[in-house]
Amino acid sequence: MNSIMYDTYTIFWRELKRYKKSRSGVLIRLIQPAIWIIVVGNIFSETQPLIQSVGFEGEYIEFMAPGVIILTAIFTSIFGGVNTLWDRRYGFMNKALTSPISRSAIALGKMSAISLIAALQASLIIGIALAIGVTFPNPLMIIPIMGIVILFSLGFSGISVTLAATAKSQETFWGMINLLGMPLFMLSPALFPLELLPNWLAVIAKLNPVTYTVLLVRELMTGVSEGGVPILISIAVIFAFVIAMVAIASYVFTREVNKPF
Amino acid sequence: MYSIETKSLTKSFGDLIAVNDVSFSVEKGEIFGFLGPNGAGKSTTMMIFTTLLKPTSGKALITGFDVMKDAKQVRENIGFVQQETTVDEYLTGRENLLLQAKLNHIPKNEINQRIDEVLELIELSDKQHQAVVTYSGGMRKRLDIAGGLLHHPKVLFLDEPTVGLDIQTRRKIWQYIKKIHIEFEMTIFVTTHYMEEADNLCDRIGIIDGGKIQVIDSPQNMKNALGNEIISLSIENNANHDSFLVELKKIEFIKKINEDNSKLTLFTSNGTEVIPKIFQISSKLGIKITTISLTQPTLDDVFISYTGHEIRDDNSKFNRKIEHAKMKRLRA
Repeated sequence: MNSIMYDTYTIFWRELKRYKKSRSGVLIRLIQPAIWIIVVGNIFSETQPLIQSVGFEGEYIEFMAPGVIILTAIFTSIFGGVNTLWDRRYGFMNKALTSPISRSAIALGKMSAISLIAALQASLIIGIALAIGVTFPNPLMIIPIMGIVILFSLGFSGISVTLAATAKSQETFWGMINLLGMPLFMLSPALFPLELLPNWLAVIAKLNPVTYTVLLVRELMTGVSEGGVPILISIAVIFAFVIAMVAIASYVFTREVNKPF
Repeated sequence: MYSIETKSLTKSFGDLIAVNDVSFSVEKGEIFGFLGPNGAGKSTTMMIFTTLLKPTSGKALITGFDVMKDAKQVRENIGFVQQETTVDEYLTGRENLLLQAKLNHIPKNEINQRIDEVLELIELSDKQHQAVVTYSGGMRKRLDIAGGLLHHPKVLFLDEPTVGLDIQTRRKIWQYIKKIHIEFEMTIFVTTHYMEEADNLCDRIGIIDGGKIQVIDSPQNMKNALGNEIISLSIENNANHDSFLVELKKIEFIKKINEDNSKLTLFTSNGTEVIPKIFQISSKLGIKITTISLTQPTLDDVFISYTGHEIRDDNSKFNRKIEHAKMKRLRA
């Protein structure tokens, strides 16, 4: 057990080193969520009456800011697994596989690094949100929010590592990511309240872990509870999602890397 | 106990048998060269030894541990330097070695000293804090080799360590390998396509072709087995061609004759005595010799005499089923 922690940390350390060295990557990953919050946040500012109808008093941009924080977390973490493919292509994976560290430690190290990176990116977006006038009624809430973002990103990094381990080519991987990422984001109350969705869509949205994360972060950020989901339920859903994804990713990764690439 | 021991080792991918009933062993402290044409089964064998592939049947023991049952112990006892350079470009040389040290569970208090030691050995101490992106191909390769040594493995696997490097760098890498061998007294298992390299470096050589070991011996013995001289001659086509060959075979010093149309290669000893006899036979049969030369055999000649061709890409007949199995293996 001790050694799996040490090995996980080794891989985690390596992934973070690589992240730190790619400064342009940090900025590039910020562009898309920044566009969402600045452009889309302003385009939809006239929809304030709609969100007021579900009991939300503030500006639209304050309503959607938690959605964009989660968007950043989703996309940073779901893209994060791609270097698994590079590692297999360029031999780092074989180097790790022929050393005494365990296979699941490689997967766990990657996932924890991805989730931390996603949280760092999300915190930069929170900074942008603050800069363009989004307010926090209670600034201390940033701590539990970051906790939730890290946890949630861990789940999504599990999806990413699973897909990267099974995909044989970059094309397959990117195809799968696009197939998953956008719908999961759209089918959540990230941009509009759950109450405004048609019934059948609301049912699908309620099966989506992103929904619970957005509701939870929004409640912590703005103090407005929406959608009638208790905080504890949201937390339980997120935990279940993360545990399931991490377990699946470790299992699939270990199975797949034992096959020749 | 042998460093490497295989018993009827076999690996097949569908219909394709990549390694076919291979049994051999490598002594502790040996530098063992593993040669063969492309697609002969070298890489597959190496991947089985380094626990990246599981054999279909048979056994492979590395320092006494079974690659299937005791994979973890095998990994603790081996170093593996892959053909492609695998260092992280954005990390510095030292960071790369630190990563390798952690992957191999080197105790924390020894890590720095070990890294200094190998950096010294491969003469990269002065460049250790530069990102690998600034290194030349040869420097990257040296760093890769250093990474394989850090944990003082009992067996070091080198897959084509000098491929794609210029001749100066290649020589330098050989020197490092020899130095490593002396300093750490480890067994080294190396695959290469450069015969000169194998000849220079290896205590013993195994030649594999078609998934089977063709011969294992020291380079010198292999060359001696062919006779210590080679006579190459070209003759003009003549009706007496076949009887010429029959007569040549009667000369006692000639060990083997390879024939390629009008060109004959005779593996022999006492070449200076054989040449006059060849002329006597040819004038008796009225055969005109256009050129003749006497040379020492090289390992290239040994290789060709066992594999039948020079190193080549697989040029056997196209077989849809086998090609399909290969593609599947690439994708799998």
